[in-house]
Amino acid sequence: MIAALLDGTAGAIAAAVTSGAASARETVEAALARIKARNDALGAFTDVTAERALKKAAAIDAKRAKRDSLGPLAGVPFAVKNLFDVAGLPTRAGSKINRERAPADKDATLVQRLEAAGAILLGALNMGEFAYDFTGENAHDGPSRNPHDLARMSGGSSGGSAAAVAGGLVPLALGSDTNGSIRVPASFCGVFGLKPTYGRLSRAGTFPFVASLDHVGPFARSAADLALAYDVMLGPDPHDPAQADVAATPVSPLIEDGVAGLRVARLGGYFARSAEPSAFAAVAKVARALGTGRAVEFEDAERARAAAYLITMVEGAALHLRRLQTRAADFDPDVRDRLIAGAMLPGAWVAQAQKFRRRFCKRALELFREVDLLIAPATPCRAPKLGQKTIVLDGKEMLLRPNVGLFTQPISFIGLPAAAVPVWSEGERLPIGVQIIAPPWREDLALRAARFLEREGVARAPVARFG
Amino acid sequence: MNSASFDPEALVDAMAPLLGLTLTPESRAQAILHLRIAVSQAELLLSAGLDDADEPAPVFRP
Repeated sequence: MIAALLDGTAGAIAAAVTSGAASARETVEAALARIKARNDALGAFTDVTAERALKKAAAIDAKRAKRDSLGPLAGVPFAVKNLFDVAGLPTRAGSKINRERAPADKDATLVQRLEAAGAILLGALNMGEFAYDFTGENAHDGPSRNPHDLARMSGGSSGGSAAAVAGGLVPLALGSDTNGSIRVPASFCGVFGLKPTYGRLSRAGTFPFVASLDHVGPFARSAADLALAYDVMLGPDPHDPAQADVAATPVSPLIEDGVAGLRVARLGGYFARSAEPSAFAAVAKVARALGTGRAVEFEDAERARAAAYLITMVEGAALHLRRLQTRAADFDPDVRDRLIAGAMLPGAWVAQAQKFRRRFCKRALELFREVDLLIAPATPCRAPKLGQKTIVLDGKEMLLRPNVGLFTQPISFIGLPAAAVPVWSEGERLPIGVQIIAPPWREDLALRAARFLEREGVARAPVARFG
Repeated sequence: MNSASFDPEALVDAMAPLLGLTLTPESRAQAILHLRIAVSQAELLLSAGLDDADEPAPVFRP
């Protein structure tokens, strides 16, 4: 029974723990056993906080014995990308250098909020160094591997988060997304991911990358689980200066509302070229299910991606300049050399990129006067092989690392909320993700559509069978 | 912008000491490659026709 529960949703685990059908302790013990059995193959976890988890589980079971309220995520095991502060662990952010830091003295805000809702932290997850990555490879900890094919990439930079959820180690994980680092691994590993609106969820207690573009959000195997986690993480936090003062509506009560009456369109132009056929087939499948044959242009998307690219290089370089000066040999070379180039770019380019950002956002808001949701590929291809350095798109061979985020970058550039939904074609072993993009602050629309697609059987996130 | 006359090798060699960076030959070669990519991105951005009235995106709230 516990095995089936762990293969199911966070919502089902919470219901079982709340009703007493399962205890938090047996749930956590079973999840820890799974991590022990599967993590060597997957490389998803870098730290397992077993003692802490068992203590928390005991506290939840004690509360239940006293008939206290347990919270909407009662007993749900979860884990976080290792750029989230976890009390007692150095926040390594995928790097060798950061593991010399003092252990965090408290948890990141979102970890605190999930635990306040009854969830149980099981540990920290592998990621691309300093989040400058789309592969899930890590020069220091080894790669996190794709549970659907261990020879392939999990995607990055939140690779361990997606691998842990797709591999059935946890039903819920947190990651971060600066240019696509939630949506890309969600696509490669075949799980649901939510990148909320920029400024929506608190980043306090996470190691930064690009302050202008950093977001945090959840991964799960169902859209309703994303909503459950998202809802309990909402709320102002004085420790994140980028957080916006915008009221938030919980999504869970609306998650089954469907898409009737919503105006949906597929993104054409830039979003309809430079990808493998599987990416467009997945978009077409989603468009059919959402009842739309309409395509709209997002003018200047390629330029938006260019602007995001430059802001990332320069802000990333500024963040790491001192480490580049003193610890260059301790970086992953693939990350270091992009940062070095970023340190040498003219400041005027970034100022112009930030001006263009506002202009592009205005264009998006005009587009959203005519539509409620936009559909686009999440990645230009299914998961590449580990170690692969280039991809061929439109007959042109290009570097893989900078180009996997072609379709995610223009969206996060202006902070639009987007859910990645996993789509499978007949007989195919590997999934590919589709972005459901909503207007700013309308995560509810993206998640409702994701849930609708799940109900229709178009999007699904089964636990991978491997080993 | 005249990227045809841009010399990324010269930029890297001039900027590295200013930034306090010591580059290995491998690192220098990769940085040059990434500069070339960045320049192609910048060409696209700088052709956007931004004008004086365009406000940048970040707003600092004291």
